[in-house]
Amino acid sequence: MARYAMVIDLRKCVGCQACTVACDKEWDVPLGFARTRVQSTGIVGAFPKLASGFRVAQCNQCDRPSCVAACPTGATRQSADGIVRIDRGVCIGCGFCVEACPYDARYINPAINQADKCDFCAARLERGLQPACVTTCTAHAKYFGNLEDSNSEVFRMVYEKGARRLQTARVAIGPNVYYLGKKQDVDLVFAKFPPRAPRMAASSEFWSRLLKPLVLAAVGATFLGQAVAFFHQLATGESKQQNQEKT
Amino acid sequence: MAAPSITQAPRPLTAREVDALSQRQVKKHDVAIMLLHWFNATVWLLELATGTALLTSSFRVAPWWYIRIVQGFFQSRANMLQFHIAVGITWIVVFVVYGTFGFRTYLKKEVLQREISLDGDDFQWLRVRVLRLLKCSDESLPPQGIYNAGQKLFALMVYAMVPVIMITGLIMTFHLIGTAAVGWAAAIHFAAVGAVVSGLMIHVYMGAVFPEEKPAFFSMITGTVNEHYAYSHHFKWWKEVSGVRAEILHESGPEASAALPPDTPRKQETPGEGEKQQ
Repeated sequence: MARYAMVIDLRKCVGCQACTVACDKEWDVPLGFARTRVQSTGIVGAFPKLASGFRVAQCNQCDRPSCVAACPTGATRQSADGIVRIDRGVCIGCGFCVEACPYDARYINPAINQADKCDFCAARLERGLQPACVTTCTAHAKYFGNLEDSNSEVFRMVYEKGARRLQTARVAIGPNVYYLGKKQDVDLVFAKFPPRAPRMAASSEFWSRLLKPLVLAAVGATFLGQAVAFFHQLATGESKQQNQEKT
Repeated sequence: MAAPSITQAPRPLTAREVDALSQRQVKKHDVAIMLLHWFNATVWLLELATGTALLTSSFRVAPWWYIRIVQGFFQSRANMLQFHIAVGITWIVVFVVYGTFGFRTYLKKEVLQREISLDGDDFQWLRVRVLRLLKCSDESLPPQGIYNAGQKLFALMVYAMVPVIMITGLIMTFHLIGTAAVGWAAAIHFAAVGAVVSGLMIHVYMGAVFPEEKPAFFSMITGTVNEHYAYSHHFKWWKEVSGVRAEILHESGPEASAALPPDTPRKQETPGEGEKQQ
């Protein structure tokens, strides 16, 4: 089985947003949203020691995705190939996953009122194509492949050339988008765009932490009460119990 | 000497009285009510079966094996959700139609006047019922109308929660108001159903298992209960509906008189209640 990953060579990325446009066209991403986007660090440092860099942001198809754990209906699931997919028939658009993603890779698509995000162009992969952003990248900065295949480019970049995951000690959920480049350039990008802590929507927290235990306790207590009454009924016998009740 | 009536307050009946009462049926439910009840029961069964199987991750309430069975039955989670929505919307449509056309007959008369308005006897009944359950008292339960206070409390909760379940369901289905509203709707949908289910379990137990309430269960199929059940469990209602039937009991004459406890107050009956003492 494949374990898909993407590697972005920050030395090559020129921030042209061709990937953003390709993705936009491929998936009809509504205005104001993006499945992938290029973020600039801006110019940092003091002359003459200036630096800048780009980060290509998209869904990381994490090993331990916080969005899957946040989804109440099971619409967001991770396939065996590592791709986190949204089941269009099951998503109710509650937005819990949008809050949960530390990379802000998700959004509620207003055209379908459901969560949406990059899925490594899963539909293209099925047809034997590469993701749209990879084929479009003007500088060939994006690499896509199977991390379990030792002959793949991504394997070599991750395990031999030291491509790095954008994660912190606090948020380490195993993103499968890797960044390659000079250490100080990657450090600059990582420092500028660290993952935020996963959040729970207030309603989600209220539901899973308070309402769920309350409901389970209430239903459980009723069930126990009934069980006691039922065993009493068994032990006493119906006609005898009826006589007792009447007096 | 006037024969003591059994219509003043419920009292232990003689065998003959029990016999006479048990043989007569009084109508409790219209066909429309019975049909709606079983339609509603079917909807609840289907919606609970699919709804609990829909919840996963930290919201999961059913065991995995159950979720897999239901999911397998529907082939996919998407079909399961579609089914849940379709049944739910049918439910809403039926209740809206019912509430519109039956407003005067059922909603106003049945629900507001008989099912959810609690009187002094009802509060007394609740107090005694609880004390008796805890074996702290052997007071007799005050007479009840067509529904007892426990049934009324459950009805109150159901009538409060059902609109909530319907509205939150619609918000989720049609993504009304906004994304945050859908999240809250999902949470409230769950809580409202949970509140009803904790009461529903007692309702089902009382109907299907509890021996004393069996006539009430069958009344949802036949529409009638025997008068002995009505007399001993819903005395105030029995007085309303039995009318002249109480006279049958007078056939028992001295027996009934003998069975009457000596300290029973012999109030003058108000005219119009239909019972005349000989």
